[in-house]
Amino acid sequence: MESTQTTQLPAGGATLVDEVDLTPVRTYWQLVRQRFVRHRLAVIAFFLMAILITAAIAIPFLTGTAWRETSLERINQPASLTAPFGYDNLGINTFVRLMKGLQTSLFIGLAAVVVIVFIGVTVGAMAGYFGGWIDNALMRMVDIVLSIPTFFLILMLVAFWGTGNAWVIIIAIGLTGWTTAARLVRAEFLSLREADFVQAARALGARDRRIVMRHMIPSAMAPVVVAATLGIADSVVVEAALSYLGFGITPPEASLGNMLTKAQDYFYRDPLLAWYPGITLVLVVLAASFLGDGLRDALDPRQRVEAA
Amino acid sequence: MTQRATDGGELLAVDGLRTHFYTQDGVVKAVDGISFAIRHGETLGVVGESGCGKSITALSVMRLIERPGKIVEGTIRLAGRDLLRFSDEEMRDVRGNAISMIFQEPMTSLNPVYTCGDQIGETISLHEGIPRREATDRAVEMLGQVGIPDAKRRAREFPHQLSGGMRQRVMIAMALSTNPELLIADEPTTALDVTIQAQILELMKALRERNRMAIMLITHDLGVIAEMADDVVVMYAGKIVEAADVNTVFERPHHPYAKGLLASLPRMGERRTRLEVIQGVVPNPLNLPSGCLFMRRCRYAMPVCATPPPLQEIAAGHLSRCWLTPAGEPPAIGPDATADVALEAAAALSVAP
Repeated sequence: MESTQTTQLPAGGATLVDEVDLTPVRTYWQLVRQRFVRHRLAVIAFFLMAILITAAIAIPFLTGTAWRETSLERINQPASLTAPFGYDNLGINTFVRLMKGLQTSLFIGLAAVVVIVFIGVTVGAMAGYFGGWIDNALMRMVDIVLSIPTFFLILMLVAFWGTGNAWVIIIAIGLTGWTTAARLVRAEFLSLREADFVQAARALGARDRRIVMRHMIPSAMAPVVVAATLGIADSVVVEAALSYLGFGITPPEASLGNMLTKAQDYFYRDPLLAWYPGITLVLVVLAASFLGDGLRDALDPRQRVEAA
Repeated sequence: MTQRATDGGELLAVDGLRTHFYTQDGVVKAVDGISFAIRHGETLGVVGESGCGKSITALSVMRLIERPGKIVEGTIRLAGRDLLRFSDEEMRDVRGNAISMIFQEPMTSLNPVYTCGDQIGETISLHEGIPRREATDRAVEMLGQVGIPDAKRRAREFPHQLSGGMRQRVMIAMALSTNPELLIADEPTTALDVTIQAQILELMKALRERNRMAIMLITHDLGVIAEMADDVVVMYAGKIVEAADVNTVFERPHHPYAKGLLASLPRMGERRTRLEVIQGVVPNPLNLPSGCLFMRRCRYAMPVCATPPPLQEIAAGHLSRCWLTPAGEPPAIGPDATADVALEAAAALSVAP
């Protein structure tokens, strides 16, 4: 454009003010918040999740190594102010250890979801954008992964790569859990590919990569965010199950799963030892699920099917 | 004007373009051998009813035809270079730089998740390699140029906060931000109400003058054509049936289809209870009749029409695909004439002016 623009356009300027819509418009995020707040359980879940995450980060941080410090004098000591859940058979502060275990479980859950979203979005976007044989090949791959009993595959992967390593668990959950995200993103992409603004971007000379990264993925993220939140619940449960079976996090490291295993040995003498990690696990899963439901209603009001 | 290869100022010359769609039910010849040219600064109107191949022609010029569609034949020369021989990379460079396109639906042609300023700025920085900050300033400047008041504030708004007319202005700003030589406008005003439509057309005219830009204007609205176009191409079932300058088409239409289109318009100061209609529907593109494609709907249909008529020059710069003589009379051949006779008659008709 030549920047000598002295010519005043006949249709330009102040003559058009009547075309401007001056009513205040609620932004997208205002609408999202409004719909989210309407979902009472989701709001409760949001605060519960916030408390759990804060506690899981802060308490182990403030107490240093207390989560693995044994002491002969404190064995099976009852609850006190510094140890609200008492001490276990090794004299470890149960509350602090529980928080450390929660930290491990939440970390594995969140990290696994990051892997799931990364693989799922990549595969789904490629399949949906390019279509044809690429779509076919990738979706058949999804079918194959779905047809394998996931938990046994994870068990096998963990046994193969070595137990007790959080990263192995994260990768194993990630490698088996991406199928739902891939399908969701593919479905979004199939319709987005035909969207006028994608066609317009193409007509203005944008590259495939730019169209996908900048114009399509942001629009396809709503269902993925929902699936990811629900995926946290799944991943935490899988981690707990692995650790419970002894394939996951092993003592002296703490996780909700291995605390349950240990509590089993003392169940008749002190059943509360099982209740603490058990209830915590239930709270995490419930919070993530309700949060996911609330986000679905808020972000993606049209989608009503179960996503994860 | 069509098929005048000697004209020095030609910007875009399309010759014998065929774009076919290979569907499961058969081959759809959406664009079947059309030729036209646009000179620098000229506006070519492409008219026809839905499904006649107007938009596919435009997308072919942009090379945005996707499977199962394919450009099977022809050349598309932009300033003498055949776009069909360009690599994908070179073609991307043409899009947005030399040729820009605006679409029918301003409601959905803007990405809902970015602000208007962002989207225009993206286009500018993409094509000119200037930093985003600077590109955003230019975007605001462009919004002002297309007559958006309070451009600075509007640039920070999202598409859903703007009215349809405003969005089409944003689309135009985006398409023109790289100063293209040719603007393809695919029904730019169809989705807008008439007052806004008039404003957008005025804007396009003003920008055309200032940027000395050629426009390929696709529409089914003859009013828009009369307002904007220098030359007109009338399409029917993937073929050009009539081509001439705008006055000729409106005053002396030759092809019965073009006549029918014009007759179906209401006229000022005329009392009529019913508008003229063209009877029937467009033939099924999967199963086109042999002979003249318009024959079944044509009030002048005659036996010779069983042979497909060629596109012939019936007067200087006036092309028509019809057997009628230039004066509109039936050709002098009897009802029992064979195809050979018809072809002879055709040969006799197409006398060079």
